[in-house]
Amino acid sequence: MPEIRVTPLGAGQDVGRSCILVSIAGKNVMLDCGMHMGFNDDRRFPDFSYITRNGRLTDFLDCVIISHFHLDHCGALPYFSEMVGYDGPIYMTHPTQAICPILLEDYRKIAVDKKGEANFFTSQMIKDCMKKVVAVHLHQTVQVDDELEIKAYYAGHVLGAAMFQIKVGSESVVYTGDYNMTPDRHLGAAWIDKCRPNLLITESTYATTIRDSKRCRERDFLKKVHEAVEHGGKVLIPVFALGRAQELCILLETFWERMNLKAPIYFSTGLTEKANHYYKLFITWTNQKIRKTFVQRNMFEFKHIKAFDRAFADNPGPMVVFATPGMLHAGQSLQIFRKWAGNEKNMVIMPGYCVQGTVGHKILSGQRKLEMEGRQVLEVKMQVEYMSFSAHADAKGIMQLVGQAEPESVLLVHGEAKKMEFLKQKIEQEFRVNCYMPANGETVTLPTSPSIPVGISLGLLKREMAQGLLPDAKKPRLLHGTLIMKDSALKELGLAEHQLRFTCRVHLHDPRKEQETAMRVYSHLKSVLKDHCVQHLPDGSVTVESILIQAAAHSEDPGTKVLLVSWTYQDEELGSYLTSLLKKGLPQAPS
Amino acid sequence: MTEGLPVPSAGLAGISSLTMDPECSQLLPALCAVLADPRQPMADDTCLEKLLDWFKTITEAGSSLLLLQENPCLVELLCHMLKPQDLSSRVLSFSLRLTGVLAAQEDCFQYLQQGELLPKLFGEAGPLGGAAWTSPAVRSGWIQGLRSLAQHPSALHFLAHCGAVDTIFSLQEDSSLFVASAAGQLLVHILGLSMQGPAGGPPSLQAGDWPACAQKIVGHIEESLRATATPQITQALNVLTTTFGHYHDPWTQVLWVQLSPLVAGLLEKDPVPAAHSLVDLLLSVARSPGLSSSSCGLWETLAQTLSHLSPTQAGPLALGILKLQDCPQALRAQAFAVLLQPLACVLKAMAQDPGSSGVPDGTVGDSMTAGTPLPSKAACVGLLCRSLAHLELLLPLPQRPCPWPQAPLLGAAVTLLQLCGGSARPACDMGRHLCTLLLGCVRVQRAALDFLGALSDGTGPRELVTQVFAVLLEYLRSPDSSPTVLKKAFQATFRWLLSSPKTPGCWDLDPHALLFLRDLLPVLQKRLCSPCWEVRDSSLEFLTQMARHWGGQAGFRHALLASEVPKLTEQLLRDPESYVRASAVTAMGQLSSQGLCFPPAGPEHHGGQQKSLLVELLHILSTDSEGFPRRAVMQVFTQWLRDSHADVAGDTEQFVAGVLQVASQDLDWEVRAQGLELALVFLEQTLGQPRSHCPHAVTPPVEAPVGPLAQALQPLCRVRLFDFAFRALFDCDRPVAQKSCDLLLFLRAKTASSSGLQESRSSPDVASVEAALQRWQAGDQAQPLGDLEPEVVLAVLRSLDLEGLRGALAESSDHVEKSPQSLLQDMLATVGVLGENEADCY
Repeated sequence: MPEIRVTPLGAGQDVGRSCILVSIAGKNVMLDCGMHMGFNDDRRFPDFSYITRNGRLTDFLDCVIISHFHLDHCGALPYFSEMVGYDGPIYMTHPTQAICPILLEDYRKIAVDKKGEANFFTSQMIKDCMKKVVAVHLHQTVQVDDELEIKAYYAGHVLGAAMFQIKVGSESVVYTGDYNMTPDRHLGAAWIDKCRPNLLITESTYATTIRDSKRCRERDFLKKVHEAVEHGGKVLIPVFALGRAQELCILLETFWERMNLKAPIYFSTGLTEKANHYYKLFITWTNQKIRKTFVQRNMFEFKHIKAFDRAFADNPGPMVVFATPGMLHAGQSLQIFRKWAGNEKNMVIMPGYCVQGTVGHKILSGQRKLEMEGRQVLEVKMQVEYMSFSAHADAKGIMQLVGQAEPESVLLVHGEAKKMEFLKQKIEQEFRVNCYMPANGETVTLPTSPSIPVGISLGLLKREMAQGLLPDAKKPRLLHGTLIMKDSALKELGLAEHQLRFTCRVHLHDPRKEQETAMRVYSHLKSVLKDHCVQHLPDGSVTVESILIQAAAHSEDPGTKVLLVSWTYQDEELGSYLTSLLKKGLPQAPS
Repeated sequence: MTEGLPVPSAGLAGISSLTMDPECSQLLPALCAVLADPRQPMADDTCLEKLLDWFKTITEAGSSLLLLQENPCLVELLCHMLKPQDLSSRVLSFSLRLTGVLAAQEDCFQYLQQGELLPKLFGEAGPLGGAAWTSPAVRSGWIQGLRSLAQHPSALHFLAHCGAVDTIFSLQEDSSLFVASAAGQLLVHILGLSMQGPAGGPPSLQAGDWPACAQKIVGHIEESLRATATPQITQALNVLTTTFGHYHDPWTQVLWVQLSPLVAGLLEKDPVPAAHSLVDLLLSVARSPGLSSSSCGLWETLAQTLSHLSPTQAGPLALGILKLQDCPQALRAQAFAVLLQPLACVLKAMAQDPGSSGVPDGTVGDSMTAGTPLPSKAACVGLLCRSLAHLELLLPLPQRPCPWPQAPLLGAAVTLLQLCGGSARPACDMGRHLCTLLLGCVRVQRAALDFLGALSDGTGPRELVTQVFAVLLEYLRSPDSSPTVLKKAFQATFRWLLSSPKTPGCWDLDPHALLFLRDLLPVLQKRLCSPCWEVRDSSLEFLTQMARHWGGQAGFRHALLASEVPKLTEQLLRDPESYVRASAVTAMGQLSSQGLCFPPAGPEHHGGQQKSLLVELLHILSTDSEGFPRRAVMQVFTQWLRDSHADVAGDTEQFVAGVLQVASQDLDWEVRAQGLELALVFLEQTLGQPRSHCPHAVTPPVEAPVGPLAQALQPLCRVRLFDFAFRALFDCDRPVAQKSCDLLLFLRAKTASSSGLQESRSSPDVASVEAALQRWQAGDQAQPLGDLEPEVVLAVLRSLDLEGLRGALAESSDHVEKSPQSLLQDMLATVGVLGENEADCY
């Protein structure tokens, strides 16, 4: 039977790094190729050796699909394509293709900067990897090959994030990547049509949470920045180069404009220009409000936000600085943090998650005395604030998406096991579909209904059409005709061919035991059918090609034996001949 | 809490446990208490992994028993795992693994055994029988724990008696790939351990006398090989593959003799089950130095397998056989025929005269021809790509078949490319069918171009080589070529140009290649204008490679200068895509170095234009918003300085001063680091010593500077090299600081032995510079140093603790955060704040 198989190598009951293998109708697709930021060795990448053991990845995988530019979804891509050796196509949306290398490069620089980073990809590898990318548009059906097609849907979450439908024949899987079902300040809400996939693979980060409105978090953020600046403090916002940084920039820019604030806002790495460029280029991917107001004022042209120079950090007076990297683990953000940490007027706002082993993680867990190099201790007097701006669908949103797509089954990834368990039950109850939540390395196998293409003559089709309304894909119609099945269909259905055998009974007068009668039949046939393969089997039966002859006692007449003869239709001629031969009786046995 | 566990012998106290610093020891009890508390979830799953890494390091370096003695909280934690409670599966898994790590040392094992801790954790009474077992993490922890523990005979005894081996058998069929695979690995390890024999003595070579545990495992493998279910057979084959890969002792030969009939029996089934694993096993056996292949009938089995498997399955086996060092010629021929088969079919299908493909025809089952009509497109494409890839891997090996059918293979690669490109003219139905299957197939195009490129290492008849260039040109020209295909076409073209026959003593291209070049350049021109950045970039990379190799040759120069290529390249310096701008910078740098930028003109015109490139590159360095082009400019400038490029040589000091000033301000640390590289080149040139192989190796200079030292240092001061280097010494990006430190150490070593310059140890200038440096080190880099005199520089150089700084910089910048103490602090600090900052992600 045809089936769909799903094996997460990452994101199975965790939120570390997404990498999910899907087999659908003989096609193998890898969904996302993420990196775990919490490790400094090879454990940061999925273990790709499980895909093929010793075989070539390019032969095994038909394509790789990347849902969006976050490193936990694309960070292992250059390693996978340039170091492990995958040479096939990689699909992602146009904005993801543009932004992905920037983040990869940003991370590479941090990794090399920190030192102690062996086995890491280079700039050239990132470029070579990006050259293998085929960019797709939203709602465009892309043929990967003759049978496999993919289609992207808007996912919100970050610029360019997409959900992908993967389809082979009539079987399909939808993978959501990360998505957000409510519009935010710069992006719209995820949307998918009623595509009724066999399987919906959905993220479940906030599987049990109903999140408060993002507006509240935004208000809170602005209030805190404003208060700190009003009191003459400096505000540090560590960010990664692209993504949340732009969202927060829009927020501050609008607020500064409205409140007529004068304190300078700086962006540390000159990336605002690049961000502007991409947000302008991909304006159609942003939300309606930004698109509408684009003509009068481009949201991404910031009046108040200026490029940062290292010397500015020592300037007196309040200021707000966006600096990379986002977890305070190297480079400029860490340098500014060290400089400002001792003053209680100052503030650091962490707008995202920090892995263990970073200064960001330390201050978020409340540590205020940090050991620095050379046993120096840095006392953190500045205010530390954490605000999650991550844009994921909450429990309500996930249910909403399942309702929209109407899948036959659901599979949860990118979440914590306990929360998934709760959501799984909810989905199964509400939608009456099976819901799975495999751990990393566990395979879920779903049988699917086989789909066999049937050729039909134009005449028959026209005649049937003439009798009714126009065909509708969603409403089955009855057609009358004779269905002829070929071998290949049997194979596809996984069915064994039905064997038709003819049988006949021949009565022989022979008082000997059955075994002896069979032996006499064997000797007789062996002498008559010299060109055929005649065998006497250990169980006493005799075969001639496919023809089987067995001797049995007659239930009423002990002097008569019954020969049971059976043959396939292919040997019909030989079968008929043998029957007539046996009906003539056996030659007299020598006494 | 250490129920039943005696206190470890005090006699061990004298041995250093090489354990942990007192700070960590102090933190550990609290952490163990947190881990044992099911109400305290661990947010970051990497923490437990890192914690285990740390324990592994400790136990590898010292006594585990002592570790337990000094930190009783560890045993308490392990004992706590035995209590029925709602434990986190991650903590339970961690504890199982930790137990294994500790019990790897026999004395520690005995200690834990006395307390019955091991059977309770790993036996039926432990997690194995409880609800926690449903978690793959726990099952995985159980296996990994046993894997670490199984290092000594006592462990083996324990495994045999606690029923672990049967559990491992069943875990081979686990729903988790990771668990199943680890279970197989563990079985191999246990088999190997039990075969080490008691007290190091060699085991019997009679399988019947083997230790019970080994016999049990072998029996299980035999049973699995006889099974009808493919997964069971696969597991058995995988276990054997690993066994023969890891162990090469005489017992492996006994094992193979015993099992090979069962393995060979698999070939009688139709289809052959677990073919992929069977191939792996046979190759593992064939490679094993412990086995004498001829005596075990291995060659026969290999030959049989080759003929039983489908061409797709047989490919990897054939390649593996051809890679073997010693192997019967007949088997090699059979294997080679398998690899060649698909290409032979292509040639046959396309030959005007069938039967004259030229590729040695195989005797093996031929699915591509015998099964006419041809298989599905997917199967055909898959088979061709695999065959091409395998042959490409075989090509560079010394043991590749000889004679190598270079010409037919070239013909096949060209034909395949023609078929995919639509320029093939098939003469028969079969050819026409192939045409429909392969037309526009990017997968085959990619594989065939890679293979064609690899074939350039050999020669070929002139006529065929002409066809190679023709088909490459066709691909470079074709509007249907995808960017990846074009990139590969460029790479293959370059390799073929490199291999084209040369006149002895002359490195120029041969006349045929030059003719080709004349056709190629207009194509390159077109590709440089492609709307696709990938194509523009690949074209520039190709141009740079060509210029590097043939830039000095008259024929190439003439053809290139007569084309629009240099002009278009110059225009790409302003490309909207930064990758392309960077490649254009590199290409222009290369062209300019070889005087290939512009059409031949009067010398006055020539000079003027060259200047403008320097200005243009400086402009990119100061204004480009992205790092790649700026980094490329720095690389070009450094190369120009090394090569004494005409523009640079005119006024080197002005050039260096200008570049360093811009580079020192760059926000990209790699540009600043490259600025230091350029500074180093200038320094070496100024001080007159040829660059040593390793510039950062601090060795006393072999020769003294040419002139007096002050005079020699003056130019360095004039270009403000020291201002840049001293500032870089305290750069927040570590590689920059490291590079600067190396540069200054190099300079100090060079000046150490030279005399003739009185350094001013206590002048007011020195004091002010030192004060400025201290401010810089503290992070305040606003104040410039001003003009420095050589004497001041030398005094400051002497006063700086450069060696100390170099030592500090050698550590990773987050070494403090990554330390065990920091890990323990972080894990403890997370307790209680989790509710607030729940596990989050991007």
